Amino acid sequence: MLEKMMKSKLFGWIDERTGAEAIIKSQLTEYEVPKNLNYMWNFGSLALLVLVLQILTGIFLAMYYKPSAALTYGGYTVAFDSVERIMRDVNFGWLIRYMHAVGASAFFVVVYMHIGRGLYYGSYKGPRELLWIIGVVILLIMQGAAFFGYLLPWGQMSFWGATVITNLFGALPVIGEFLQEVLRGGFAVGDPTLNRFFSLHYLFPLLLVAIVGGHVHALHVVHSNNPTGLDVHAGKSTIPFHPYYTIKDAFGVGVFLLFYCYVVFFNPQMGGYFIEVDNYVPANNLQTPPHIAPVWYLTPWYTILRSFESKLIGVLAMGASLGILFLLPFLDRSKVRSARYRPVYRQMVYLFFVTVIILGYCGHSAPTPTLKLIGQISTAYYFAFFLLLPFVPMFEKTKPLPEEI
Amino acid sequence: MKLKQFLTVASIAVALSLPVAASANEGGVALKHAEIDVTDQAQLRRGLTVFTDVCMGCHSAKYVTYKGLMDYPELALSREEVDDLRGDKPLASGMITDLSPADAEVSYGKVPPDLSLIVNARRGGANYVYSILTGFEHDPSGKVPDGNFNEYFPGNRIAMPDPLSWLGHDEDETKELEEQAHDVAAFLTFIGDPHQNQRHAIGKYVMIFLLLLTIILYLLKKEVWKDVKH
Repeated sequence: MLEKMMKSKLFGWIDERTGAEAIIKSQLTEYEVPKNLNYMWNFGSLALLVLVLQILTGIFLAMYYKPSAALTYGGYTVAFDSVERIMRDVNFGWLIRYMHAVGASAFFVVVYMHIGRGLYYGSYKGPRELLWIIGVVILLIMQGAAFFGYLLPWGQMSFWGATVITNLFGALPVIGEFLQEVLRGGFAVGDPTLNRFFSLHYLFPLLLVAIVGGHVHALHVVHSNNPTGLDVHAGKSTIPFHPYYTIKDAFGVGVFLLFYCYVVFFNPQMGGYFIEVDNYVPANNLQTPPHIAPVWYLTPWYTILRSFESKLIGVLAMGASLGILFLLPFLDRSKVRSARYRPVYRQMVYLFFVTVIILGYCGHSAPTPTLKLIGQISTAYYFAFFLLLPFVPMFEKTKPLPEEI
Repeated sequence: MKLKQFLTVASIAVALSLPVAASANEGGVALKHAEIDVTDQAQLRRGLTVFTDVCMGCHSAKYVTYKGLMDYPELALSREEVDDLRGDKPLASGMITDLSPADAEVSYGKVPPDLSLIVNARRGGANYVYSILTGFEHDPSGKVPDGNFNEYFPGNRIAMPDPLSWLGHDEDETKELEEQAHDVAAFLTFIGDPHQNQRHAIGKYVMIFLLLLTIILYLLKKEVWKDVKH
């Protein structure tokens, strides 16, 4: 079908002025991809899908949402009322809003799988260092966008979550207080905070689109890694992206949508994990909820923050835990990419995945001394994983690599 | 990772996350189970009556309009029935109590919360509402006055005085009071998300469509890939 279309007169006219044929060939029909990619390689295209879904649903939500903390009857606010108006009175507003709220969690699910795949198969190693680094920038912007968005319904968890997180910036020396006031637009979280968070929540996805473009471009320069981690030779062990991976990604989209739509239509709050129970209570600056926790996708980093007695050290550790991801390609000195052929790294990376899940669980639960200790041990391993990497090749006996994939 | 392996891992992960999510409220007391059916028009209408006769003495449901009571197919009240309920309030008005916040503060020490979202806003949801309504007891330690001691309320001391007169009711009234509590819990669950029945109804077709689409895409993928040797 694509070939037929490309032979048409109209396409010829467009091609003369844009070079469309060369782009389609180099990026799709003649773009070489290893033939042995497994289903873990589907999450990149899924992340792109969710990004588009979030932007589309977000545009429609912004048509009805009103970022104002002005009080209305019963201790509610204009912002909270406008969200309920979307849920009740706007035609299919409930669908758009649940898609957006569930989409936020779905975005992190697929992106964390995507990152985990990169870690396991060594996709961050040369020549893909920049590809990985751009990916980490995407993760940070996503977390920012999610954090800004969570304030908008102006529920209790929105308000207190934003209060706790903006407080963190106040812990930084010299510029801390200034930074905190700029973020809040005042001395406390209030109407100005809501307005600037709304503005930033609209800005960040624009940045995401641009940087995702860079991520895909960087990928198409260095090409995909594969489960063996071997360099592949064009033609022999590669197949063109279209039609092979377009159809495989389409199948992945089908499976993803089954999970996503099940949650949207039958369990949109996901038992308080995707939309927290306390966020159905309007924001009240005089009443702190009994237990403040960020949404699940930020809890691993929240645990790292809470593992230190000093707030400043906690904040710095949390920053370092994300910042160290930038250094990963340079910390890992092994010549072999894939964990399939690295017995020591393989155990380490499995333990790392478990550790992140434990960190997430600790951050979501109400703090107890036991959980705190478990959180501290997990934090220690989180950093140890990265800091041990330069030394692993010194004693790791890698398995023999196959000649060709 | 092969497809089968991946699907197994994914379904286990989903299955594990569900029971954790359905835990009890933070008071630690196991809640009673509310028998509700948000598609049952008779129960929802009975619940509406309990709501307007009892709850609305102090509580509002500001996000539920009188017009909504006619428009939601689950309730489908007639114009006359709605006119009886609203008095001189406009059709587009929310269901707002006649008790002013200032008077409530004087009588009960706090303003009663709006009930539009109460089921969503409490851990345990409808079970919590039902348990609270049928949870008034004599304080075993005798400190909290009767009518303010509730087994299921975090901290046990509740500002709401026993609305269904549960405390000290006769044995033969139990069934009727329980039914009232079930009905109003069902009504409150319904108004917490008034499009939930529509959502479930559409969702079934969405899932069937996606399942067929995914099967077709899988067969198509197999067909396209059949010449690729591993």
